[in-house]
Amino acid sequence: MSDPRVRAARWAALACALLWLPGGALADEVAPGEAQAVIEKTVDEVLAILRDPARDAKTRRAALEDLATDRFDFRTMARLVLARSWKELSVPQQEEFVEQFQSYLANDYGNRIERYDQEQVEVMGARVEPRGDVTVKTKIVGGENSGALVDYRMRKQGVDWRIIDVVIEGISLVANFRDQFRDVMGREGPVSLIERLKEKNAAPAAGA
Amino acid sequence: MDAVRKAATLLLLPLPLLAPPAAADDREAPAPAVVQAGDAPGTRQGGTPGDPWEPMNRRVFAFNEGVDRWFLEPVATGWDRAVPEVAQRSIGNFFDNLAMPIRLANEILQAKPWRAYETLWRIAINTVGGVGGLFDPASHFQVYESDEDLGQTLGYWGVPSGPYWVVPLLGPSSPRDATGLAVGSTVSIVAFFVPIPLYVTAPTTAVDVVNDRAASLETIRAEREAAFDFYTAVRSAYTQYRENRVRDRADDEDDEDDGDDDEDLYYLDEEDGDE
Repeated sequence: MSDPRVRAARWAALACALLWLPGGALADEVAPGEAQAVIEKTVDEVLAILRDPARDAKTRRAALEDLATDRFDFRTMARLVLARSWKELSVPQQEEFVEQFQSYLANDYGNRIERYDQEQVEVMGARVEPRGDVTVKTKIVGGENSGALVDYRMRKQGVDWRIIDVVIEGISLVANFRDQFRDVMGREGPVSLIERLKEKNAAPAAGA
Repeated sequence: MDAVRKAATLLLLPLPLLAPPAAADDREAPAPAVVQAGDAPGTRQGGTPGDPWEPMNRRVFAFNEGVDRWFLEPVATGWDRAVPEVAQRSIGNFFDNLAMPIRLANEILQAKPWRAYETLWRIAINTVGGVGGLFDPASHFQVYESDEDLGQTLGYWGVPSGPYWVVPLLGPSSPRDATGLAVGSTVSIVAFFVPIPLYVTAPTTAVDVVNDRAASLETIRAEREAAFDFYTAVRSAYTQYRENRVRDRADDEDDEDDGDDDEDLYYLDEEDGDE
């Protein structure tokens, strides 16, 4: 909390902000707006898919997963989730892990979203994080989870803002999986971790 | 007299365990007795909650899972089929409304007058307009429910949570939050002021518990399925959730500090994080 480096960085940031107020303010304004627009657009698209009467369960699911693949940066997520252990994987293992983790998350995301068909999502605003990511804040309105806060952590990759974490009521998806994978990596190693991901993905049990 | 003794037992029970978390060595989990007065108040170490009591916790967790699987979940499933959705919601509302005075007390203890005022309104609206709390008109007027409990109040005043602790039957907690739970459970508070015999409170508590469980049948099943290691998933989620609650959900304050904690979660610094 009171890491001197952090404090120093904060003072530096403040100093910069004071010195370059016009420039800084301008740059800040552009970035969070863009990221927020991506989330707003995604929300609309998800709702449109969920409410489209022309789709059956299968095509709806496929559409949701496609959208997820487009909006999430699964590669970054996979790396963040493994954290230090990322380097313990060989390059082919890394590729395989990203691929499996991606289909796991896309599937999981599809499951979750399908349960939320009556809710509205209100986009409340965005905040720039110290190192340039943007957190877009949303709130669920209606349904069982009315009032729940869902934050999307966004990072700019090239021209696009992509989601790198979803934080529901303070519970970060990345942190949650990092904790789980750390256990598996520590006890059983990378081969077993990838195996288990595959098993999960192959299991038919997932939802409707 | 009797009440005082009851309060004392409730309060003191988990208190000896309130030692701050040991500077836990990740793998070698010491037994609870070995926990020493460490220094770090936070339980997060590089993004993980420390869990010095893990071997014991895992056993209790497995026990709780067993109870849930073989008893609570089937009962709640039956309840879910038998009781119409509207009634379930009303029962939930009723117990929520009963719990409101405790939340009010905690808001006052946390020096949050505006919230306390809002909760007071909520109680008034829902008790009168909502027919004794069965309905929730307050939410329609944007008077939302807050969720302060004694564990959060203790956290607010700097009491460390202590190590992650899975309590038999009650589930994930910590010494601090379990203290709050023991004192703060709806019925125990009511029973504390009004001499209600156990054969009345026990079934009411049961209804509250089953009704609650019925509301999350789907969610819990899905989470169990999705998790790799359900124990770790729950521990991680619980710890993050409680920390966030004590910090008071990011929207309430402008959270300068918030971002800094996150940096090691979102950047792997050894390999110059950008990209």
